Amino acid sequence: MKLPFQKQPDDAPVREKKHYLTGKEVRAIAKANNREMRRLEKLKKRKLPESEFLSEMKDRENILEVEDLHSYFYTDQGVVKAVNGVSFQVPQGSTVGIVGESGCGKSVTSMSVMRLLQGPSGQIASGSIRFKSFDFKLENGKPIPVWENDENGEPIYDPVYVKGPRKPVYERDEKGEIVSDPVLDGEGNPVLDGEGNPKTEPRIAKDGKGRTLYERERVPKVDKNGEPVLERRQKRDEYGTKLYEMEEKVFDIAKMPIKEMYRLRGRQIAMIFQEPMTSLNPVFTIGNQLDEVTLLHVPGATKEEAKKRSIEMLNLVGIAMPERVYKSYPHELSGGMRQRVMIAMALEGNPRLIIADEPTTALDVTIQAQILDLLRGLKDRINGSILLITHDLGVIAEMADYVVVMYAGRIIEQGTASEIFHHPMHPYTIGLQKSKPTMDSDSDSLFNIPGNVPNPIDMPDFCYFRERCSGCNEKCYGDYPQMVQVSPTHWVACHLYANTDAKENGDEH
Amino acid sequence: MSIKRTESYEEALEKEELKKEEREAGSGEYAGFDDAAEAAAEQQVRDERAKADMELPPDPDALLEVRHLKKYFPLKKSLSGKVLVSLRAVDDVSFKLRAGETLGIVGESGCGKTTLGRTILKLYRPTSGQIFFEGEDIAGYNSAKMRPLRTKMQIIFQDPYSSLPPRSTVGGILSEPVKVHKIVPAAEVKDYVLKIMEQCGLRDYYYERYPHEFSGGQRQRICIARALTVNPKLVVCDEPVSALDVSIQAQIINLLKRLQTDLGFTYLFISHDLSVVKHISDRIGVMYLGSMVEFGDKKDIFSNPLHPYTQALFSAVPNPNPDVKMNRIVLSGDIPSPANPPKGCKFHTRCPRAMEICKHIAPAYREYEPGHFASCHLYPQED
Repeated sequence: MKLPFQKQPDDAPVREKKHYLTGKEVRAIAKANNREMRRLEKLKKRKLPESEFLSEMKDRENILEVEDLHSYFYTDQGVVKAVNGVSFQVPQGSTVGIVGESGCGKSVTSMSVMRLLQGPSGQIASGSIRFKSFDFKLENGKPIPVWENDENGEPIYDPVYVKGPRKPVYERDEKGEIVSDPVLDGEGNPVLDGEGNPKTEPRIAKDGKGRTLYERERVPKVDKNGEPVLERRQKRDEYGTKLYEMEEKVFDIAKMPIKEMYRLRGRQIAMIFQEPMTSLNPVFTIGNQLDEVTLLHVPGATKEEAKKRSIEMLNLVGIAMPERVYKSYPHELSGGMRQRVMIAMALEGNPRLIIADEPTTALDVTIQAQILDLLRGLKDRINGSILLITHDLGVIAEMADYVVVMYAGRIIEQGTASEIFHHPMHPYTIGLQKSKPTMDSDSDSLFNIPGNVPNPIDMPDFCYFRERCSGCNEKCYGDYPQMVQVSPTHWVACHLYANTDAKENGDEH
Repeated sequence: MSIKRTESYEEALEKEELKKEEREAGSGEYAGFDDAAEAAAEQQVRDERAKADMELPPDPDALLEVRHLKKYFPLKKSLSGKVLVSLRAVDDVSFKLRAGETLGIVGESGCGKTTLGRTILKLYRPTSGQIFFEGEDIAGYNSAKMRPLRTKMQIIFQDPYSSLPPRSTVGGILSEPVKVHKIVPAAEVKDYVLKIMEQCGLRDYYYERYPHEFSGGQRQRICIARALTVNPKLVVCDEPVSALDVSIQAQIINLLKRLQTDLGFTYLFISHDLSVVKHISDRIGVMYLGSMVEFGDKKDIFSNPLHPYTQALFSAVPNPNPDVKMNRIVLSGDIPSPANPPKGCKFHTRCPRAMEICKHIAPAYREYEPGHFASCHLYPQED
């Protein structure tokens, strides 16, 4: 139907693809998707012996290797290929930054590493994610403690203490002696004991409201025969957490059943989310939420140990009054403080890899500077690696050793930070840098990349950036470009560099 | 490795208590100093000065002149309706904006920059102060009196996703202000709107489409086109590019700049992104907790920032060059609550160069170079 005012302009481009789907098409897509989703969900839930998802690292220096990862979202409009063949590595002890615009798949990549994609529609369709885990060595399903020995190599035994009966607290004077009062009878006269001396009784301490104070002493535990129970002393780390024997294993996260992921999440891979406001539970105290990590991940940890560790961690992230923050609720803290608590929570499990998904996007510039300073210092301290995901090139430049640039679900360029920032090669990376106004630049108009990101549901089979690119040649009308190595650490996916003397190495990388 | 500890609010309180005890004990420079009395005396002097300022005629060069503008939001009222506690979102802000210029307002979240923009447009009723627009004081105007002025002042909102009505077409959205204000005869409305759309880089067949069919950048273009339809003189841009991606940001900033050169707009550009503000502005105002702490020409502010807050803000911007290691001034702590701002200078709790006087007396907002204002005790307070 054509309304009278609808004058179709003559130069309007003829749309090749219609922008809607019929009900029949939607049903067909949904049917195909359901089949695929059910298959992938089953894979997630099946029981698998550990040997099935053990793997080998390509390079022993790496802690994380992502290879040809495909993460899809099965929607009724079609399959959204949010991550479409992504490969990169995180070397041990370094920071890798993933940068890209919204919708380029950088968050989905990080969620895939944690296996946190929202099922059943979000699934890892194929690819492998190898992670070098440093997990408890198990014996009969139990972790092996690290024992502490004396100089002669003999084991040390400590008596086990338990809480004794409840006793009132007695008031003490300055010298530490118990204050006693004479016992008076009904008429106010002192009562005498058998030898004629006035009877005394110790004065019981009261609190401000006049209630009696009680204490429970710790007494050695005894068995049935009256012998004290002994316990072998276990080694502890600097925060008083018990140590167990560890072993190195390489897991393929993409193949792991979801239940096995509990061994990695929080303990080995921790995540700092974008919005500290929504990531903390509003009905539990900060301390409660922090303790949970230790209680879950350290076998045999007591509440006292967990609290001690939580307070140490809050101290580590630069919170001035950890005891007070430990007791408070998330709404009592400001945004910057909440993000610090999130970082403390991530550190609590002593992870080897921290994934920071836009950790400073919701924060002000001055608070962002504080948090970045903190993250930089912590990385050296915990000897871990950071996978930093952000859209801010400035943050990446300050933090990252290696940079991965993503566009529309694919990596278009990767290299060291100075390579990416001083010699960007892909037209998109160049455009992205030129289009961001900086504090130093003084140009009059900004470079702008025309157009928008293509629709993720039907991606073209040529280069995704062709429609927005200024440096197109006739090759761009062919296949999607392969990754081209331009230096030992620098890779770019663009036809402009395909003919340079660098060897093509796209599949391996 | 040493980690800098931030001063928490509680710690600040404790310090404050210690200081109070110290003062009562009669030690230090400000021994026996009565804060309340001093503040009242200071306030009286300022009120008198403000009153004298308000008598002056408006500057004929300025398109917009704001004098001692205040906007307090009541938080707690007594039974009789008297305001007991108020949130001082905008507290005594004064500036001038000449026609054809861009004034960038920067500050952290919660510093009152959005409230300032909306109060100038009379979307909020100002608590006190004067707003001269083309020489007329519009602070006291009611909405009926404001209506003809609406064609001269417009706003572009931050979030292009929530500021467009989802049930109108782009044509409907853009032609409504034209019809309401009778900009062109009814028969020419569509051609007029199509012309505006072309100016903003929108294709003419978008006319019958709905907002949900567009991406963020295109929606922001629609918002700009809507502001443009009534031929405004002053456009308040309230974080127009914050919700957009970097490559789209550049498109919108270039569009805004092109429209300014073509049509001679005056912009009040509110943003928390310093690099964007630096790119687009001629003058810059830095706000902290409702007050303007520094105001001046772009080159003055960037080459010679006077206020410690401005210096810290500039140094906190991440530099996209991995080789440059900056000497960063990291401010400790968070921005205090505007409902209970610190006494004296509002910035003294976080200031790296705070002195004893900063804790007691608020600094005056004075002109140190021609057109370069600041309020800080580091610089002379009297002539």
